Amino acid sequence: MTSIVNEPIIRVENLHFSYEIERDQPIKALNGVDLQVRQGEYLVILGHNGSGKSTLAKHLNGLLAPTQGDVWVNGWNTRDQAHIRDIRATVGMVFQSPDNQIVATIVEEDVAFGPENMGLPHDEIVRRVDWALEKVHMTPYRLRAPHLLSGGQKQRVSIAGMLAMRPKVLVLDESTAMLDPVGRREVLEIARTLNRDEGVTIIAITHFMEEAIHAHRLVIMAQGQIQLQGPPREVFAQVQRLRELKMDVPPITRLSLALNQQHPDFPADALTVEELVQAVLERTHAQAPAPIMPPPAPLPPPGKTIIQYEDVGRFYMRDTPLQVKAIENVNLHVQQGEILGIIGHTGSGKSTIIQHANALLRPHEGQVLVFDKSTRDKNLDIREIRRRVGMAFQQPELQLFERFVGDDVAYGPRNLELSREEIRERVREAMNALGLDFETFKDRMTFSLSGGEKRRVALAGIMALKPQVLVLDEPTAGLDPYGRQQLLDLILSWRDLGLTLVMVSHNMENLADLADRLYVIANGTTLMNGTPSEIFSKVDTLQKEGLNAPVVTLAMQALVKAGVLPADATRIYTVQEAAQLIGGIL
Amino acid sequence: MEDFELLRNVTIGQYIPTGSAVHRMDPRAKITAAFFLIFAISFTQSLVANFIMLLAIILIARVAKIEFKYLLRGFLLGLPILIFIFVTQFLFMGRTEPAGHIFFQAGWFRITQRSLSIIMLSGLRLLSFVFLTSLITMTATTTELTHGMERLLHPFRRFGVPSHELALIMMIALRFVPTLAEEMENIMKAQASRGADLGTKRIWRPDRAARAYLPLIVPLFLTAFRRAEDLVYAMEARGYVGGEGRTNFIQLKSSWADYVIVIISFAIMVFMLFFTWPSTFQFLQNLGFFT
Repeated sequence: MTSIVNEPIIRVENLHFSYEIERDQPIKALNGVDLQVRQGEYLVILGHNGSGKSTLAKHLNGLLAPTQGDVWVNGWNTRDQAHIRDIRATVGMVFQSPDNQIVATIVEEDVAFGPENMGLPHDEIVRRVDWALEKVHMTPYRLRAPHLLSGGQKQRVSIAGMLAMRPKVLVLDESTAMLDPVGRREVLEIARTLNRDEGVTIIAITHFMEEAIHAHRLVIMAQGQIQLQGPPREVFAQVQRLRELKMDVPPITRLSLALNQQHPDFPADALTVEELVQAVLERTHAQAPAPIMPPPAPLPPPGKTIIQYEDVGRFYMRDTPLQVKAIENVNLHVQQGEILGIIGHTGSGKSTIIQHANALLRPHEGQVLVFDKSTRDKNLDIREIRRRVGMAFQQPELQLFERFVGDDVAYGPRNLELSREEIRERVREAMNALGLDFETFKDRMTFSLSGGEKRRVALAGIMALKPQVLVLDEPTAGLDPYGRQQLLDLILSWRDLGLTLVMVSHNMENLADLADRLYVIANGTTLMNGTPSEIFSKVDTLQKEGLNAPVVTLAMQALVKAGVLPADATRIYTVQEAAQLIGGIL
Repeated sequence: MEDFELLRNVTIGQYIPTGSAVHRMDPRAKITAAFFLIFAISFTQSLVANFIMLLAIILIARVAKIEFKYLLRGFLLGLPILIFIFVTQFLFMGRTEPAGHIFFQAGWFRITQRSLSIIMLSGLRLLSFVFLTSLITMTATTTELTHGMERLLHPFRRFGVPSHELALIMMIALRFVPTLAEEMENIMKAQASRGADLGTKRIWRPDRAARAYLPLIVPLFLTAFRRAEDLVYAMEARGYVGGEGRTNFIQLKSSWADYVIVIISFAIMVFMLFFTWPSTFQFLQNLGFFT
């Protein structure tokens, strides 16, 4: 570990910042922030959406100028335009969207963009590009076109683009928010290595708690201010305070805390699986009673099959030189009234698969039966299928287009050519189902809403079709833990309305709590299916496919391997059940 | 509309790496040579000459190892426009160009030797243009083209030609074509899922037709603006403050072969422009037709 120098590389002093969206109506984003970042430090800034964390980040390299207060980078004030190139070369910044920060059409040229701007000689640029690509393990892809890369790879290219400028500080502004677990792990590992081996100061902004445990220091923001800071262990110990700040505690720490409540000598602040397993092993004794496994959750009684995939296959770019098989031999069925989870990493073919459910795509091989009708049938009433099978895409708020919320929600019902009263009634019901009060929200301007509200409006637009099946692709992507939980609770409540739900996600924890059954998609086909505990217990297979079991399952697996728990304990994935089981052997 | 795969039918801008000699050319030489050929095609009035040029372009495609069907695919994309031009010329050219032998006449509609040759000429020219431009984009990566253009225009900077900015604009535009196409696919799918009739029903009233596309256009523009804003931040964060003082990672190298090709294409242009071509009629007669 590179030692941390005491002299701060970044000093933020009494920073205030207001956005002015409409004239004379400033919105306070930062409200007196004081922060010092030392050279070599790994700092994580956590906060819910709207807490001001990204606004703070944009001050660290002078992309935004303070309304009041000062930011000093390496001794330069960020207001000083004369040093703006030096400041930007000192503090590199990688943003959230993998697509929107790559300039060039070839990877290596994109990495060269920064050094070119610095006016470095050609040989030096080449050297830096080679070095930076090597650091992020992207050398084999140097001649690729960026749009052919995965999200994680794109973010690595962006990091390389920053590294090539040899910054002392690298700010990751929610750089992992739009990535799947594989991509997130890739980016995190690179950030940690850069910090450890190259002494690069890392400032990571995120709302994933798991990303915070390796930091030297956590800073928690809310209402434009720093609310809490310190080493991760100290911060996570303040569970109550975190809940007030709408922040989450990592599952392992929750488990550790639950065990501490049963056995006061058990540490309450374990952060990693290794620490927890260590603590358990130190406290088990030979005479411990055999652990009592809770009975496995029964499969829900099979309902009527309403969507059935039979050996479905489909090509991408068919009849062109770029033709590839996107999916093949997909067999899957959806039963009335269930919540079905579909897991797969980006590029596994899961999006292609679900788009067959409402005949957006039709199979090139095999068939898909939706309410007993094949979507390959030429006489199929497609609008009827799309009405009965609602589909919400990732980030559905990007498809909003009307000025007023009510109009946007009404778009679907209007396409159904319903009467005015019927449309109004449906809009009201749909908005209420998403917790948006009809009277308050119907005349609000769509584009003035917050991200979370927009997401709800978009989902209401689909609920207004009164579908019988609702397919949701990553419904909580980009939301903070609080917003995520709220939305999941809402979705869960729709089951009581008789809705069949298909949820697509790469987030195991989300699906674990919700789904009755899961399908795992890998390499364009259905790899396995079963109850969540059946699926999660196959940890090794999941990991081979670039997926992770819930972290609790990982802890259980480690304890099984250590011989203190029976083999079938790997089917436990909730904190509650795990605490009960482990508590029994302490 | 059936498949929502927007990128499938776009051939212009699609690089096909066959590693041929044409691919390995310096992009500057490629652009210059293509410029000479296009100049030749545009200004030769002779049908024979244009026919020879078309054959030459197909020959270049052979050398570049590009299958003829990919050339044709790009052509199919522009077919509606070609047909439109062809039909209007066919209908009206006989009236405006009454010269030469009249093959057919009915009322104001006339087919003359002159009109027929003009129609064939424009057909041949368009075919050559489409083939040549697709050939360039199939054998040169977009970056090669951008850098080639930038360097070629560089000497004109002092006359106010913003060569660096143009190149950057072109690069960013090309970079975002696939991204926005993908975005459009998603928006189309999402609105179709909300019961939108995209392309299944014909709408004759233009105001309604325009309204029907709002749900696609508005989100597309909004995301494009959002992306642009993000990109500005990203470029600033990487120290971009304009073209002054920038250096270049890509260095273009030309070999003697590139110079030879540029000289040959220049010679072809001169030859095509100044050679006295026989009229098509004569030419065919010489070949033994119409005897």
